[in-house]
Amino acid sequence: MARVLVVDDDPSLRRVLRVGLRARGHEVSVASNGEQGISQAALLSPDVIVLDLGLPDLDGLTVCRRIRAWSDVPIVVLSANDAEDRKVAALNEGADDYVTKPFGMAELEARIRTAIRHQRVEPDAPGGSVITVGEVSIDLVHHEAHIKGAPARLTSKEFGVLSFLMRNEEKVCTHEMILTAVWGAPYARESQYLHVYVNRIRQKLGADPGLHLRAVPGIGYVLTRKDE
Amino acid sequence: MRTKVTGAVVGVLAALALGGVMLPLRAHLSLATIALIFVIPVVAGVVIGGRPAGLISMVGGFLVYNLVFIPPYWTLAVGQAQHRAALVAYVITMLLVTEVVVRLEEARAAAQTREGNARHLFEMSEVLLGDKSIPELGDAIVHEMCQTFGLEGAALLVPVEGRLEVIASSGMPFAEGEMTSLPPSERPPVALSTSTSTASIQTLALSAAGRPIGLMLLHGLPDDPVGRELLPTVANHLALALERAELRERVHRVELLEEIDRLRDAMLGAVSHDLRTPLATIKIASSTLLDPSSSLGPDDIDELYLLIDVQTDRLTRLVNNLLDMTRIHTGVLEVRRVPSSLVDLVTAVTTDIAPMLEGRRVEVDIPAGLPLVDVDHVLVEQVLSNLIDNAHRHSPEDGLIVIAAERRGSDHVVVTVTDHGSGVPRSERTAVFETFVRFDTGGRAGLGLAIAKAFIQAHDETIWVEDPPGGGARFAFTLPIAREVHERSA
Repeated sequence: MARVLVVDDDPSLRRVLRVGLRARGHEVSVASNGEQGISQAALLSPDVIVLDLGLPDLDGLTVCRRIRAWSDVPIVVLSANDAEDRKVAALNEGADDYVTKPFGMAELEARIRTAIRHQRVEPDAPGGSVITVGEVSIDLVHHEAHIKGAPARLTSKEFGVLSFLMRNEEKVCTHEMILTAVWGAPYARESQYLHVYVNRIRQKLGADPGLHLRAVPGIGYVLTRKDE
Repeated sequence: MRTKVTGAVVGVLAALALGGVMLPLRAHLSLATIALIFVIPVVAGVVIGGRPAGLISMVGGFLVYNLVFIPPYWTLAVGQAQHRAALVAYVITMLLVTEVVVRLEEARAAAQTREGNARHLFEMSEVLLGDKSIPELGDAIVHEMCQTFGLEGAALLVPVEGRLEVIASSGMPFAEGEMTSLPPSERPPVALSTSTSTASIQTLALSAAGRPIGLMLLHGLPDDPVGRELLPTVANHLALALERAELRERVHRVELLEEIDRLRDAMLGAVSHDLRTPLATIKIASSTLLDPSSSLGPDDIDELYLLIDVQTDRLTRLVNNLLDMTRIHTGVLEVRRVPSSLVDLVTAVTTDIAPMLEGRRVEVDIPAGLPLVDVDHVLVEQVLSNLIDNAHRHSPEDGLIVIAAERRGSDHVVVTVTDHGSGVPRSERTAVFETFVRFDTGGRAGLGLAIAKAFIQAHDETIWVEDPPGGGARFAFTLPIAREVHERSA
């Protein structure tokens, strides 16, 4: 179904991921360190990379940054601890999503699918100026938002935050990413602004807008379509 | 006192001598010239003996002048009015001369004192400014105080948990009674207390910015106004130096706590990594096995079961390591030595961890005639298994691991575990045995090697890592040979 590159230094984890991902129909290749991972990524051009942040030779964040320098292949990072700053850093370095060890096959599979879908959708996004998620649609060109067909009165920053999250549907966006995109780099650390604006947006979206605007504590926000 | 007498005697004798010398010339010399010459004994007297000697010399000069040179001779009576005027002028001039000379002398002495004080303070500050710990500083202070002020003894007390405690002393020891008779020092003044001078001990309170810093006891302070003038300034210097040392130690303590915090975070991160990675493997394997939509061949199913099995063992070993580390840190590690066969030990370990090695080749090279070793076999098995695990994790998949042993000297055996991995750089050869030193970015805790070191050291033996010929790393440790057990004869 997809060609997955697993970059992990732990032999057992590599083996179990190979068997598990194959059982779900993926084609799997493996690399046991960062340098090897980067060259495999270039040689094989996989559909998605599963990258462990704790590698013996290179920091996972470095691997992420170096791959991002020439490729926007989706990257799902495996994190060994709950420390949020590493995950935030990975997302800021261009990772698409993260999974915290230990995780089940279904969870990893879901993240991989989302990352790949997002990757495929993105090239079309700039073309169509209207994005619709659930009952909410926004017109990027005319700066207009409609909720259940009725025009919504959003301030320009509210519109900025909502449109950023809708363009990155199902992807965890860090506070820093959203703040930099909407307010500019000097505001990258002012996450309290964001909490206030997201709260206002939620109020304006009203009850049951057909989407979830979910906070990921300590990391950022993710906008997802509400399951029917 | 003696200089005053000397001065007076010199002044008077000089007046008499001058009178004697000038007597034959009395007809040829004017009274004014003679009066001028009689300045000499007065100046001599005042320079040697100060103001009193000057005055006595002046009286001597006056008498000689009057008796010998002012007619009528050899009486104190004065005939002419102009002679009377000459005498009055002599007295006034001499008084002025005495005063001027005395003042000059005083100014010179004061300058000397100031210079001395400045030198003492400079010497003191040299001692105080160095980067010393509080005990070192205390020793330097009492030593310097004794030297500078010529004390018989000195002691420095600082408040420790509300009580004054002696942190340094020098010279004559203080008697217990002398210590306890001291006044309470809650008052913070920078002052020399003279009220306790009964036992020839004086106290010098040290305070900085109004905060009491400590107390100095001075034994046998000489009765010297220069020194006493200096004491309050010195007290200030000492207080500031002590406060500085105290603040520096506080900063060091805070830095140490921060370092411990950092290490604890690093350890938690590393342990978390070590625990979660095998858990992740188990969880992925089990969830894949349980998922009805997985398409698994029989070989895949076997492999997943094997992975669960091996990773469970790995977790068990890790938990054991953590428990061992706790035993080591809480000091409840006990070494139960029994004569043991090294071959049996190694065989037990390699059999035990074979599944974990995933088919890696392990070669055992132990000479047949090797004597028994006197060790706690549980601990040594753990050491071997940690070293083999370490070698396995740091070797390429087809790399050979060699376990060897040989006799060294009459009472030791050296055991080595050699791999063909990337080796240990010279600069990290101590650090590899330290827990979580190098693992700030979420790497492995490295508990295994730290435990191996602790267990070997518990046997009073040594462990190290070296370069084997042909690359890789060789971990080696020594074990004691068991004493010959003689068969008991009937």
